[in-house]
Amino acid sequence: MASFSSNEWKAVCAKFTNAQQLSDVESRTDPENDPFRSKYKARELLTEIYCSLKNFEAGDGEEHDDGETSEPEPTEEPLDGEKPVDLDAFSRGWSSDSRAGLRAARLAAVEYYLGVNHVDTEELSAGQEHLMNCMKHLGKCRVSSENVSLFIHVRNQLGILWAGRDETEKSQGFLETAESIYQRYMKENGSPPTDMTEYFCSEENQLTHQERTKKFELAYTHTLYYLAQVYQYFGENERAANYCYSTLQRQLQLNQFNPMEWALNAATLSQYYITKGQYMEGRHCLAAATVISGLAGEVPSEAERDRREQLKQKRSEIARCWIKYCLNLLRDAKKLLEDNIGELDTDRQDELRRARRREEEEEGRKQALLFGSEDTFDSIASVEEKVILGILIRKACFLYLSASLSVIHPKAKEHFQMDGFVTDHIEILQDHSALFRALAFFEEDVERRCKMHKRRVDMLEPICNDLNSQYYLLIRRQLMFELAETYNEMMDLKLTLANRQEDSQSLDNHTIKKFNHLCSASAKYFQMFLDSLCSPEGKIPEHLEEDVLRPALVARFRVARLHSKLISSSPPVQLDNLNKALENYKYVVQYCEAHPEAAAAAETELELSKEMVGLLPLKINRLKARMATNN
Amino acid sequence: MPGHKHEKQEVSDNVKVVVRCRPLNQREKMTGFKQAVTVDEIRGTITVNKFETAQEPPKTFTFDTVFGPESKQLDVYNLTARPIVDSVLEGYNGTIFAYGQTGTGKTFTMEGVRAVPELRGIIPNSFAHIFGHIAKAEGDTRFLVRVSYLEIYNEEVRDLLGKDQMQRLEVKERPDIGVYIKDLTSYAANNADDMDRIMTVGHKNRSVGATNMNEHSSRSHAIFTVTIEYSEKGLDGNQHVRMGKLHLVDLAGSERQGKTGATGQRLKEATKINLSLSTLGNVISALVDGKSTHVPYRNSKLTRLLQDSLGGNSKTMMCANIGPADYNYDETISTLRYANRAKNIKNKARINEDPKDALLRQFQKEIEDLRKKLEEGEEISGSEGSGSEEMDEGDDEAGEPGEGRRRRKGLRFVTKMAIRFDSQIKKKVSPDKMVEMQAKIEEERKALEAKLDMEEEERNKARAELEKREKDLIKAQQEHQLLLEKLSTLEKKVIVGGVDLLAKAEEQEKLLEESNNELEERRRRAEQLRKELEEKEQERLDIEEKYTSLQEEAQGKTKKLKKVWTMLMAAKSEVSKIILETAGIIAVIKTGLETFKATIGKWSLKCLEAELSRIYSINNHEEKKGACLC
Repeated sequence: MASFSSNEWKAVCAKFTNAQQLSDVESRTDPENDPFRSKYKARELLTEIYCSLKNFEAGDGEEHDDGETSEPEPTEEPLDGEKPVDLDAFSRGWSSDSRAGLRAARLAAVEYYLGVNHVDTEELSAGQEHLMNCMKHLGKCRVSSENVSLFIHVRNQLGILWAGRDETEKSQGFLETAESIYQRYMKENGSPPTDMTEYFCSEENQLTHQERTKKFELAYTHTLYYLAQVYQYFGENERAANYCYSTLQRQLQLNQFNPMEWALNAATLSQYYITKGQYMEGRHCLAAATVISGLAGEVPSEAERDRREQLKQKRSEIARCWIKYCLNLLRDAKKLLEDNIGELDTDRQDELRRARRREEEEEGRKQALLFGSEDTFDSIASVEEKVILGILIRKACFLYLSASLSVIHPKAKEHFQMDGFVTDHIEILQDHSALFRALAFFEEDVERRCKMHKRRVDMLEPICNDLNSQYYLLIRRQLMFELAETYNEMMDLKLTLANRQEDSQSLDNHTIKKFNHLCSASAKYFQMFLDSLCSPEGKIPEHLEEDVLRPALVARFRVARLHSKLISSSPPVQLDNLNKALENYKYVVQYCEAHPEAAAAAETELELSKEMVGLLPLKINRLKARMATNN
Repeated sequence: MPGHKHEKQEVSDNVKVVVRCRPLNQREKMTGFKQAVTVDEIRGTITVNKFETAQEPPKTFTFDTVFGPESKQLDVYNLTARPIVDSVLEGYNGTIFAYGQTGTGKTFTMEGVRAVPELRGIIPNSFAHIFGHIAKAEGDTRFLVRVSYLEIYNEEVRDLLGKDQMQRLEVKERPDIGVYIKDLTSYAANNADDMDRIMTVGHKNRSVGATNMNEHSSRSHAIFTVTIEYSEKGLDGNQHVRMGKLHLVDLAGSERQGKTGATGQRLKEATKINLSLSTLGNVISALVDGKSTHVPYRNSKLTRLLQDSLGGNSKTMMCANIGPADYNYDETISTLRYANRAKNIKNKARINEDPKDALLRQFQKEIEDLRKKLEEGEEISGSEGSGSEEMDEGDDEAGEPGEGRRRRKGLRFVTKMAIRFDSQIKKKVSPDKMVEMQAKIEEERKALEAKLDMEEEERNKARAELEKREKDLIKAQQEHQLLLEKLSTLEKKVIVGGVDLLAKAEEQEKLLEESNNELEERRRRAEQLRKELEEKEQERLDIEEKYTSLQEEAQGKTKKLKKVWTMLMAAKSEVSKIILETAGIIAVIKTGLETFKATIGKWSLKCLEAELSRIYSINNHEEKKGACLC
């Protein structure tokens, strides 16, 4: 005959505390050859608690003693599944303040702990049985603040268990029910619910409301986190991303996060959104990441070198995510605004900008999902505001981006220095260059556009020449190709500029010199790229690998064209250039003849090369003839 | 070097994947486990059966090369590692990975049994191969072979040859030498035995740091790196230096890691869900498509260290090891799947071309113009503008970045270092120059003395200056000495090709060579067998075809036969009917005949009677006549 204040009950409570301690703390230090020692001990205690619980109340003369089968309980649940939405629990069953309700909840809790214990020791079927028993006990009860926490916890565990067995649909069922139970509970009741641990502790040790809320909300955060993974498993990436977002959001609201870790996760999530073209969400994530990473404190002094390095690295990582945001945004904008010959369509730009602004202002802020706890929300919003302003205002777009570049880049490079992080460092430079390339598209002033490309060259040329080909062959190839294209671009711009300035007159010496310089620099880098494909003995490969096929053919084609563009007044030099051009055009044609499958890779280039192979000899002959007569 | 060797570069650089299956061990045989894996070496396929669920069809995987339980160590070496080591000896980078569940023979494949030459694994064999190559090289080729050995455990790098085993090293990267480990010890090895010894030291250290060796080694990656530098005189008379690196990687056991020990049974079904919120980052980054994004923290130390081996500028071979028994089914399948994916590792670093439609269009127009001009026979000047003479000169502003690259590209090699030291010595303080300097100093001192009227202070200053210069000179001399010493120690380490450094390695190399030849022979035979097999199969097909056609024919015939049979039967029954009928007729005829006969009899009787009576009457008449006559 025990009551809840009796010594016997106290003993049960003590056992429970002990079991918790064993399972959560001591199990961590179990030896390798007996990894579950503490878990097994905890299991014994839990089993004892279960027995005494049954005795207790059976002795109390409860009408619902241990004969579960005779009870007029709610419908039996399917043994190993979950009905899609099982919310009957809100209206049916014992209320939890009834004795029977409390007893069922206690039994359910012990079954829950036993279930988790078995899962921890890799005995899944036994674990499942206990968890289902827990569900059975709970099935008799109505959802209330006394037991809702257990309702959610047990479903989380079952979700994990079934996912582990590759039966993700079942897992999804349990987790989604947990989600809807939470939502309905919060709508209908919302008071901080009792935690299961409180079933087994004395009145004075009850948790505060704050602690209760914290534990309960954390359980639900886990539900969302598990759901994110389940959706990911089903390939529903968008849904998965939104659940990750919610998880992050809740961590922030409930103040359960490590600032740097959180910031990195948010920054990573931004990368998902930008690849989906959801720039608003991406920007929001990044702004939040920047603000929260600030909470991690100042960069420590030299003394704590490790921590200092880590912090620097993480901030650099976030900066790199920003770079990708800018880059993707600009590229997408470019795609939208490009007219059919790859020039900026200004009318279109205005139109789109207006549309975008409307969208941002009207709908954007209505978005339900915004990060922020009370104290961080404002700062996140203000970081974002700066970005939005920057992007919205015409012209300021460039100003903003160039300004932020000058801020972001040193930040990104701060950790990833050339010495020690070559690959990362170069990636950042490549991004930087790509940003300038995209920016140049929006720039109307040809002179300034040219300068942007010049900056790209200045950035990339030195590293390209510093890198050892044996280890960085692929990166060097990329760099060479980009440099060649950049010089080519600059050459075209110079020509446009020259033609614009003095339409009728012929080009002056200085311009010609400049032009020839750019032209040969471009040709030189294309040639370097082509040389990098050769064997150590300088033999041209007979067969081009698939991943360099098109670049190689294009490079040949461009080299040919550049040679025929070089300006010279000396006929022998002209002749030499033309012959070189012809040689390269011929290569393209001959390669495609020998490898018919290559023709598809560079269709237009091949067609043009064929024409040139037909035409150039004529031109060369004329030139020769003229030279002969002049002599 | 002959050019043909380098055609290898044109071969696809994908990762080459081979799979090796070990035989059932004693314990497995005793317990009565069944062989679930079938290896077809000729076809290069591996088939895995699942016995528990009979209805599941066996899974088949195809690889570059597969080795069955009977495969020999030397064959494995020659078929897989030899080409890689060959390219390393030509100055490429090569990597050999061993991958697989713990207890599937990774270590046997990589190391084998040292004491028995036939059972040595890839590592000792590659040592023999390398030094065999050196021994055979021309006399004026010089080699330097260095080795290092490290371990990655829990994302921490430990130098297995270092003095301080507690030290954790950093992975770094430099533009000129790529990824490297800061402060990693490396030893020069003069022969295969040296290498063996170094490896043994590393092994010892690997087990020293760990409490539980097996547990530890199955969770840590070990990388043994051999750097081979060699210089030879090129056709131009200069020394050409090349360097190749061979990474031999023993990857951690691939089994999914649960907390497993003596008591708990192996966790067969690993949890598919990350439980802790601390892994949220993994979940998120799995959502992000790597293209045009930045995903923080994706690279582990291992991938960073081997970044140019996986999908980079390197020859890579991956040897996946599997166990044959049915209880390994899940792990075997996951290993094979992984290996299958590894086949498709490709360079991610692609050339991002700027789409230039506008340019092409413009060019089209230019061609059009050119064509027109040519057709019209107009005078064409080589230049569009009217440039003056000096314009076509090469531009000096451009600089020569290519030069710098080559300079940097120069591989660090001792002989080269030696040359550099030499030139350094010459440049800095060639003996002539030193004499000259001394003379100059002397001269200046004299001049100084001559200028007695010079202010004391100034003189002191000048003297100090002079002293300093003298000191510099001494320092330079010392440096010179030091460099010379360094040079000579370095020269000691350099191995000159052709020198007999083989001793033991020679045997192994011979063994390798022999087995390679044998292998060649066998390969030919296998090829022949394969052909025969194919032929046989073709034949079988032919016969089957014939057979089916015969069968069809037979069927047709049977049908016909049946038809004929029924016809026959019908005919027969008709015949019998006819016979019956005939019999009736015969009977009728017979009776007719009887009656006829009877009738004839009757008739003949009657005739006879009549005749008789006629004769009688005649007689009578005659008689009468006679009577009359008489």
